[in-house]
Amino acid sequence: MDTAVIEKKKMWGGGRSPFNLSYGKVMMWYFLLSDAFTFGAFLISYGATRFASSVWPDSNEVFASFPFFAPHGGAPMAFVSLMTFILILSSVTMVLAVHAGHCRDKSSVIKWLLWTIIGGTAFLGCQAWEWTHLHHQGAWWGSFRTDANGVIAHGQSLKDFFAHNIPADVATGIAGADAAHKFFNYFFTITGFHGFHVTTGVVLLIIVLLNTINGTYEKRGHYEMVEKIGLYWHFVDLVWVFVFTCFYLL
Amino acid sequence: MSHHFSDYESDQSRLYNINHHEDINSNESKAKVKNILKITLWLSLITIVEVAMGLFCHYNHVPKTIPNIAFIIMTLLKAWLIVAVFMHLGDEIKNMILTVLVPLVLFVWFIIAFLWEGSYWIWINNYFGIR
Repeated sequence: MDTAVIEKKKMWGGGRSPFNLSYGKVMMWYFLLSDAFTFGAFLISYGATRFASSVWPDSNEVFASFPFFAPHGGAPMAFVSLMTFILILSSVTMVLAVHAGHCRDKSSVIKWLLWTIIGGTAFLGCQAWEWTHLHHQGAWWGSFRTDANGVIAHGQSLKDFFAHNIPADVATGIAGADAAHKFFNYFFTITGFHGFHVTTGVVLLIIVLLNTINGTYEKRGHYEMVEKIGLYWHFVDLVWVFVFTCFYLL
Repeated sequence: MSHHFSDYESDQSRLYNINHHEDINSNESKAKVKNILKITLWLSLITIVEVAMGLFCHYNHVPKTIPNIAFIIMTLLKAWLIVAVFMHLGDEIKNMILTVLVPLVLFVWFIIAFLWEGSYWIWINNYFGIR
Protein backbone atom coordinates (compact mmCIF):
# COMPACT_ATOMS: atom_id res chain seq x y z
CA MET A 1 0.00 0.00 0.00
CA ASP A 2 2.71 2.48 1.00
CA THR A 3 4.88 1.52 -1.90
CA ALA A 4 1.90 1.92 -4.23
CA VAL A 5 1.37 5.49 -2.96
CA ILE A 6 5.05 6.30 -3.39
CA GLU A 7 4.99 4.81 -6.88
CA LYS A 8 1.98 6.92 -7.75
CA LYS A 9 3.59 10.09 -6.41
CA LYS A 10 6.67 9.38 -8.44
CA MET A 11 4.59 8.72 -11.52
CA TRP A 12 2.82 12.09 -11.39
CA GLY A 13 5.50 13.97 -9.44
CA GLY A 14 6.95 15.62 -12.50
CA GLY A 15 10.24 15.05 -14.23
CA ARG A 16 8.92 12.13 -16.24
CA SER A 17 6.09 11.27 -18.55
CA PRO A 18 3.28 9.56 -16.59
CA PHE A 19 2.17 7.81 -19.78
CA ASN A 20 5.75 6.82 -20.59
CA LEU A 21 5.18 8.65 -23.85
CA SER A 22 6.62 11.92 -25.16
CA TYR A 23 4.54 15.09 -25.22
CA GLY A 24 4.49 15.10 -29.02
CA LYS A 25 3.11 11.58 -29.30
CA VAL A 26 0.47 12.12 -26.60
CA MET A 27 -0.70 15.28 -28.38
CA MET A 28 -0.75 13.51 -31.75
CA TRP A 29 -3.01 10.85 -30.24
CA TYR A 30 -5.41 13.48 -28.85
CA PHE A 31 -5.42 15.38 -32.14
CA LEU A 32 -6.31 12.15 -33.94
CA LEU A 33 -9.02 11.47 -31.35
CA SER A 34 -10.59 14.87 -32.10
CA ASP A 35 -10.22 14.25 -35.84
CA ALA A 36 -11.99 10.90 -35.40
CA PHE A 37 -15.00 12.81 -34.08
CA THR A 38 -14.93 15.16 -37.09
CA PHE A 39 -14.95 12.26 -39.53
CA GLY A 40 -17.44 10.41 -37.32
CA ALA A 41 -19.80 13.40 -37.45
CA PHE A 42 -19.58 13.44 -41.26
CA LEU A 43 -20.25 9.73 -41.63
CA ILE A 44 -23.05 9.67 -39.05
CA SER A 45 -24.85 12.59 -40.70
CA TYR A 46 -24.50 10.66 -43.98
CA GLY A 47 -26.13 7.70 -42.22
CA ALA A 48 -28.94 9.82 -40.78
CA THR A 49 -29.69 11.31 -44.23
CA ARG A 50 -29.68 7.86 -45.77
CA PHE A 51 -32.07 6.57 -43.10
CA ALA A 52 -34.35 9.53 -43.87
CA SER A 53 -34.45 8.84 -47.64
CA SER A 54 -36.92 6.49 -49.30
CA VAL A 55 -34.43 5.63 -52.08
CA TRP A 56 -30.62 5.81 -52.17
CA PRO A 57 -28.06 5.42 -54.99
CA ASP A 58 -26.50 1.95 -55.27
CA SER A 59 -22.71 2.11 -54.84
CA ASN A 60 -22.31 -0.87 -57.21
CA GLU A 61 -23.91 1.23 -59.95
CA VAL A 62 -22.25 4.56 -59.10
CA PHE A 63 -18.69 3.25 -58.70
CA ALA A 64 -18.47 0.76 -61.56
CA SER A 65 -15.73 2.26 -63.75
CA PHE A 66 -12.06 1.42 -64.02
CA PRO A 67 -9.57 3.54 -66.00
CA PHE A 68 -8.59 1.98 -69.37
CA PHE A 69 -10.26 -1.40 -68.64
CA ALA A 70 -13.85 -0.36 -67.95
CA PRO A 71 -14.11 3.43 -68.41
CA HIS A 72 -17.88 3.29 -68.93
CA GLY A 73 -18.84 0.99 -66.09
CA GLY A 74 -19.29 -2.74 -65.77
CA ALA A 75 -16.62 -3.29 -63.09
CA PRO A 76 -18.34 -2.52 -59.80
CA MET A 77 -16.08 -2.00 -56.76
CA ALA A 78 -12.91 -2.86 -58.70
CA PHE A 79 -11.27 0.57 -58.70
CA VAL A 80 -12.08 1.40 -55.09
CA SER A 81 -10.68 -1.99 -54.04
CA LEU A 82 -7.43 -1.07 -55.77
CA MET A 83 -7.40 2.30 -53.96
CA THR A 84 -8.02 0.59 -50.62
CA PHE A 85 -5.22 -1.86 -51.30
CA ILE A 86 -2.80 0.97 -52.20
CA LEU A 87 -3.59 2.74 -48.94
CA ILE A 88 -3.15 -0.45 -46.88
CA LEU A 89 0.23 -1.05 -48.53
CA SER A 90 1.34 2.54 -47.85
CA SER A 91 0.40 1.96 -44.22
CA VAL A 92 2.63 -1.11 -44.19
CA THR A 93 5.61 0.73 -45.67
CA MET A 94 5.00 3.43 -43.04
CA VAL A 95 5.12 0.97 -40.15
CA LEU A 96 8.32 -0.46 -41.66
CA ALA A 97 9.80 3.07 -41.71
CA VAL A 98 8.90 3.47 -38.02
CA HIS A 99 10.54 0.11 -37.29
CA ALA A 100 13.69 1.15 -39.19
CA GLY A 101 13.69 4.36 -37.10
CA HIS A 102 13.66 2.28 -33.90
CA CYS A 103 16.73 0.51 -35.25
CA ARG A 104 18.37 3.86 -36.18
CA ASP A 105 18.79 2.52 -39.72
CA LYS A 106 18.84 5.74 -41.75
CA SER A 107 18.90 4.24 -45.25
CA SER A 108 15.94 1.92 -44.49
CA VAL A 109 13.96 4.85 -43.07
CA ILE A 110 14.58 6.78 -46.31
CA LYS A 111 13.61 3.79 -48.46
CA TRP A 112 10.32 3.09 -46.64
CA LEU A 113 9.38 6.79 -46.38
CA LEU A 114 9.85 7.06 -50.15
CA TRP A 115 7.58 4.06 -50.76
CA THR A 116 4.97 5.57 -48.42
CA ILE A 117 5.08 8.88 -50.34
CA ILE A 118 4.67 6.97 -53.61
CA GLY A 119 1.70 5.04 -52.18
CA GLY A 120 0.02 8.22 -50.90
CA THR A 121 0.53 9.97 -54.23
CA ALA A 122 -0.83 6.95 -56.13
CA PHE A 123 -3.93 6.98 -53.93
CA LEU A 124 -4.45 10.71 -54.60
CA GLY A 125 -4.06 10.07 -58.33
CA CYS A 126 -6.79 7.40 -58.17
CA GLN A 127 -9.01 9.76 -56.18
CA ALA A 128 -8.49 12.48 -58.80
CA TRP A 129 -9.47 10.06 -61.59
CA GLU A 130 -12.62 8.98 -59.77
CA TRP A 131 -13.67 12.57 -59.04
CA THR A 132 -13.08 13.59 -62.67
CA HIS A 133 -15.05 10.58 -63.88
CA LEU A 134 -18.03 11.34 -61.63
CA HIS A 135 -17.89 15.01 -62.56
CA HIS A 136 -18.16 14.01 -66.23
CA GLN A 137 -21.28 12.07 -65.34
CA GLY A 138 -22.82 15.27 -64.02
CA ALA A 139 -22.22 14.68 -60.33
CA TRP A 140 -20.83 17.53 -58.29
CA TRP A 141 -21.47 19.56 -55.13
CA GLY A 142 -24.88 21.20 -55.12
CA SER A 143 -25.19 21.54 -58.90
CA PHE A 144 -27.07 18.40 -59.78
CA ARG A 145 -29.40 19.36 -62.61
CA THR A 146 -31.52 17.09 -64.81
CA ASP A 147 -33.75 17.59 -67.81
CA ALA A 148 -37.35 16.37 -67.93
CA ASN A 149 -36.21 12.80 -68.67
CA GLY A 150 -33.82 12.64 -65.74
CA VAL A 151 -30.78 12.98 -67.99
CA ILE A 152 -27.93 14.86 -66.32
CA ALA A 153 -24.91 14.88 -68.64
CA HIS A 154 -23.48 12.99 -71.62
CA GLY A 155 -26.60 10.84 -71.86
CA GLN A 156 -26.14 9.71 -68.26
CA SER A 157 -29.51 9.19 -66.63
CA LEU A 158 -30.19 9.49 -62.94
CA LYS A 159 -31.52 5.96 -63.19
CA ASP A 160 -27.99 4.68 -63.82
CA PHE A 161 -27.07 5.54 -60.22
CA PHE A 162 -29.81 3.36 -58.72
CA ALA A 163 -30.34 -0.39 -58.44
CA HIS A 164 -32.28 -1.94 -61.31
CA ASN A 165 -35.32 -2.74 -59.18
CA ILE A 166 -35.95 0.97 -58.47
CA PRO A 167 -38.72 2.12 -60.90
CA ALA A 168 -37.54 4.68 -63.48
CA ASP A 169 -40.11 7.28 -62.43
CA VAL A 170 -38.90 7.09 -58.81
CA ALA A 171 -35.19 7.25 -59.74
CA THR A 172 -35.67 10.20 -62.12
CA GLY A 173 -38.36 11.84 -59.99
CA ILE A 174 -38.03 14.15 -57.01
CA ALA A 175 -37.10 11.35 -54.57
CA GLY A 176 -34.31 10.03 -56.83
CA ALA A 177 -32.89 13.43 -57.71
CA ASP A 178 -32.98 14.48 -54.06
CA ALA A 179 -31.25 11.29 -52.88
CA ALA A 180 -28.57 11.43 -55.60
CA HIS A 181 -27.95 15.09 -54.84
CA LYS A 182 -27.44 14.37 -51.13
CA PHE A 183 -25.36 11.27 -51.85
CA PHE A 184 -22.87 13.19 -54.00
CA ASN A 185 -22.72 16.15 -51.62
CA TYR A 186 -21.66 13.76 -48.86
CA PHE A 187 -19.39 11.79 -51.16
CA PHE A 188 -17.38 14.78 -52.39
CA THR A 189 -17.28 16.40 -48.94
CA ILE A 190 -16.13 13.29 -47.05
CA THR A 191 -13.69 11.89 -49.64
CA GLY A 192 -12.50 15.47 -50.21
CA PHE A 193 -11.82 15.96 -46.51
CA HIS A 194 -10.06 12.60 -46.43
CA GLY A 195 -8.07 13.46 -49.57
CA PHE A 196 -7.06 16.73 -47.91
CA HIS A 197 -5.71 14.67 -44.99
CA VAL A 198 -3.78 12.43 -47.40
CA THR A 199 -2.34 15.48 -49.17
CA THR A 200 -1.26 16.99 -45.84
CA GLY A 201 0.25 13.62 -44.91
CA VAL A 202 2.27 13.44 -48.13
CA VAL A 203 3.62 16.99 -47.53
CA LEU A 204 4.57 16.09 -43.94
CA LEU A 205 6.18 12.85 -45.12
CA ILE A 206 8.30 14.79 -47.65
CA ILE A 207 9.45 17.16 -44.87
CA VAL A 208 10.32 14.22 -42.60
CA LEU A 209 12.12 12.52 -45.51
CA LEU A 210 14.24 15.63 -46.15
CA ASN A 211 15.09 15.87 -42.43
CA THR A 212 16.06 12.19 -42.42
CA ILE A 213 18.31 12.67 -45.47
CA ASN A 214 19.88 15.72 -43.80
CA GLY A 215 20.65 13.63 -40.73
CA THR A 216 18.53 15.77 -38.38
CA TYR A 217 17.14 12.75 -36.51
CA GLU A 218 20.50 10.97 -36.47
CA LYS A 219 21.94 14.02 -34.64
CA ARG A 220 18.91 14.16 -32.34
CA GLY A 221 19.52 10.54 -31.41
CA HIS A 222 16.04 9.21 -32.22
CA TYR A 223 13.54 9.03 -35.07
CA GLU A 224 10.48 10.02 -33.04
CA MET A 225 9.27 12.39 -35.75
CA VAL A 226 8.89 9.37 -38.05
CA GLU A 227 6.71 7.74 -35.37
CA LYS A 228 4.50 10.83 -35.07
CA ILE A 229 3.92 11.18 -38.81
CA GLY A 230 3.39 7.40 -38.79
CA LEU A 231 0.52 7.75 -36.29
CA TYR A 232 -1.07 10.38 -38.52
CA TRP A 233 -0.64 8.25 -41.65
CA HIS A 234 -2.18 5.14 -40.05
CA PHE A 235 -5.10 7.26 -38.90
CA VAL A 236 -5.70 8.40 -42.49
CA ASP A 237 -5.74 4.72 -43.50
CA LEU A 238 -8.10 3.96 -40.60
CA VAL A 239 -10.53 6.67 -41.72
CA TRP A 240 -10.51 5.23 -45.24
CA VAL A 241 -11.49 1.82 -43.80
CA PHE A 242 -14.67 3.45 -42.43
CA VAL A 243 -15.29 5.60 -45.54
CA PHE A 244 -14.96 2.43 -47.64
CA THR A 245 -17.50 0.60 -45.50
CA CYS A 246 -20.04 3.44 -45.34
CA PHE A 247 -19.92 4.52 -49.01
CA TYR A 248 -19.09 1.35 -50.88
CA LEU A 249 -20.19 -1.66 -48.82
CA LEU A 250 -23.25 -0.82 -46.71
CA MET B 1 27.77 14.50 -25.30
CA SER B 2 28.77 17.07 -27.86
CA HIS B 3 25.29 17.68 -29.20
CA HIS B 4 23.28 20.36 -27.44
CA PHE B 5 19.81 19.23 -26.42
CA SER B 6 16.95 21.69 -25.95
CA ASP B 7 14.58 21.02 -23.04
CA TYR B 8 12.17 19.36 -25.41
CA GLU B 9 14.75 17.05 -26.85
CA SER B 10 16.24 16.14 -23.52
CA ASP B 11 12.80 15.03 -22.38
CA GLN B 12 12.69 12.71 -25.39
CA SER B 13 16.12 11.34 -24.61
CA ARG B 14 14.79 10.01 -21.31
CA LEU B 15 12.26 7.93 -23.21
CA TYR B 16 14.71 6.83 -25.89
CA ASN B 17 17.96 5.26 -24.87
CA ILE B 18 20.25 7.08 -27.23
CA ASN B 19 23.11 4.67 -26.82
CA HIS B 20 21.13 1.47 -27.19
CA HIS B 21 18.79 0.77 -30.06
CA GLU B 22 17.50 -2.29 -31.82
CA ASP B 23 19.60 -3.98 -34.45
CA ILE B 24 17.63 -4.26 -37.70
CA ASN B 25 19.25 -7.63 -38.45
CA SER B 26 18.51 -9.13 -35.02
CA ASN B 27 16.06 -11.99 -34.64
CA GLU B 28 13.79 -9.76 -32.54
CA SER B 29 13.66 -7.18 -35.33
CA LYS B 30 12.98 -9.85 -37.94
CA ALA B 31 10.15 -11.27 -35.82
CA LYS B 32 8.59 -7.80 -35.64
CA VAL B 33 8.75 -7.35 -39.41
CA LYS B 34 7.22 -10.81 -39.84
CA ASN B 35 4.36 -9.79 -37.54
CA ILE B 36 3.81 -6.60 -39.59
CA LEU B 37 3.59 -8.67 -42.78
CA LYS B 38 1.17 -11.08 -41.09
CA ILE B 39 -1.15 -8.18 -40.14
CA THR B 40 -0.88 -6.88 -43.73
CA LEU B 41 -2.04 -10.25 -44.99
CA TRP B 42 -5.00 -10.19 -42.60
CA LEU B 43 -6.00 -6.64 -43.61
CA SER B 44 -5.84 -7.62 -47.30
CA LEU B 45 -7.77 -10.85 -46.75
CA ILE B 46 -10.56 -9.12 -44.82
CA THR B 47 -10.84 -6.47 -47.57
CA ILE B 48 -11.00 -9.17 -50.27
CA VAL B 49 -13.74 -11.03 -48.34
CA GLU B 50 -15.69 -7.75 -47.95
CA VAL B 51 -15.52 -6.96 -51.67
CA ALA B 52 -16.37 -10.55 -52.64
CA MET B 53 -19.41 -10.54 -50.33
CA GLY B 54 -20.52 -7.15 -51.68
CA LEU B 55 -20.26 -8.31 -55.29
CA PHE B 56 -21.99 -11.63 -54.53
CA CYS B 57 -24.94 -9.78 -52.98
CA HIS B 58 -25.01 -7.35 -55.92
CA TYR B 59 -25.09 -9.95 -58.68
CA ASN B 60 -27.41 -12.38 -56.88
CA HIS B 61 -29.77 -9.70 -55.52
CA VAL B 62 -29.29 -10.86 -51.93
CA PRO B 63 -30.84 -8.53 -49.31
CA LYS B 64 -27.99 -6.83 -47.48
CA THR B 65 -29.33 -6.85 -43.90
CA ILE B 66 -27.18 -9.72 -42.63
CA PRO B 67 -24.13 -8.95 -44.84
CA ASN B 68 -24.21 -5.39 -43.45
CA ILE B 69 -23.71 -6.71 -39.92
CA ALA B 70 -20.75 -8.75 -41.20
CA PHE B 71 -19.33 -5.66 -42.95
CA ILE B 72 -19.47 -3.66 -39.72
CA ILE B 73 -17.81 -6.46 -37.72
CA MET B 74 -15.03 -6.84 -40.33
CA THR B 75 -14.52 -3.05 -40.41
CA LEU B 76 -14.11 -2.93 -36.63
CA LEU B 77 -11.69 -5.86 -36.84
CA LYS B 78 -9.56 -4.01 -39.40
CA ALA B 79 -9.68 -0.85 -37.27
CA TRP B 80 -8.53 -2.83 -34.24
CA LEU B 81 -5.59 -4.35 -36.17
CA ILE B 82 -4.47 -0.94 -37.46
CA VAL B 83 -4.75 0.81 -34.08
CA ALA B 84 -3.34 -1.96 -31.88
CA VAL B 85 -0.48 -3.12 -34.11
CA PHE B 86 0.38 -0.46 -36.71
CA MET B 87 -0.16 2.47 -34.35
CA HIS B 88 1.36 0.49 -31.44
CA LEU B 89 -1.46 1.49 -29.08
CA GLY B 90 -1.39 -2.08 -27.77
CA ASP B 91 2.16 -1.45 -26.53
CA GLU B 92 1.31 1.70 -24.53
CA ILE B 93 0.48 1.65 -20.81
CA LYS B 94 -3.11 1.04 -19.78
CA ASN B 95 -3.92 4.61 -18.69
CA MET B 96 -2.82 5.98 -22.05
CA ILE B 97 -4.93 3.42 -23.91
CA LEU B 98 -7.97 4.32 -21.79
CA THR B 99 -7.65 8.08 -22.43
CA VAL B 100 -7.89 7.34 -26.17
CA LEU B 101 -10.56 4.62 -26.10
CA VAL B 102 -12.98 5.83 -23.41
CA PRO B 103 -14.05 9.04 -25.26
CA LEU B 104 -14.89 6.89 -28.28
CA VAL B 105 -17.77 5.40 -26.26
CA LEU B 106 -19.63 8.63 -27.13
CA PHE B 107 -19.96 7.22 -30.64
CA VAL B 108 -22.42 4.61 -29.35
CA TRP B 109 -24.89 7.31 -28.35
CA PHE B 110 -23.99 9.43 -31.37
CA ILE B 111 -24.82 6.66 -33.87
CA ILE B 112 -28.02 5.49 -32.16
CA ALA B 113 -29.37 9.04 -31.72
CA PHE B 114 -28.78 10.21 -35.28
CA LEU B 115 -29.95 7.06 -37.06
CA TRP B 116 -33.05 7.13 -34.83
CA GLU B 117 -33.58 10.74 -35.89
CA GLY B 118 -33.21 9.79 -39.56
CA SER B 119 -35.86 7.10 -39.19
CA TYR B 120 -38.15 9.64 -37.54
CA TRP B 121 -37.77 12.11 -40.41
CA ILE B 122 -38.84 9.57 -43.01
CA TRP B 123 -41.72 8.43 -40.81
CA ILE B 124 -43.02 11.99 -40.26
CA ASN B 125 -42.60 12.82 -43.98
CA ASN B 126 -44.60 9.75 -44.93
CA TYR B 127 -47.18 10.54 -42.24
CA PHE B 128 -47.85 13.99 -43.68
CA GLY B 129 -47.55 12.73 -47.24
CA ILE B 130 -44.37 14.63 -48.09
CA ARG B 131 -42.77 12.46 -50.79
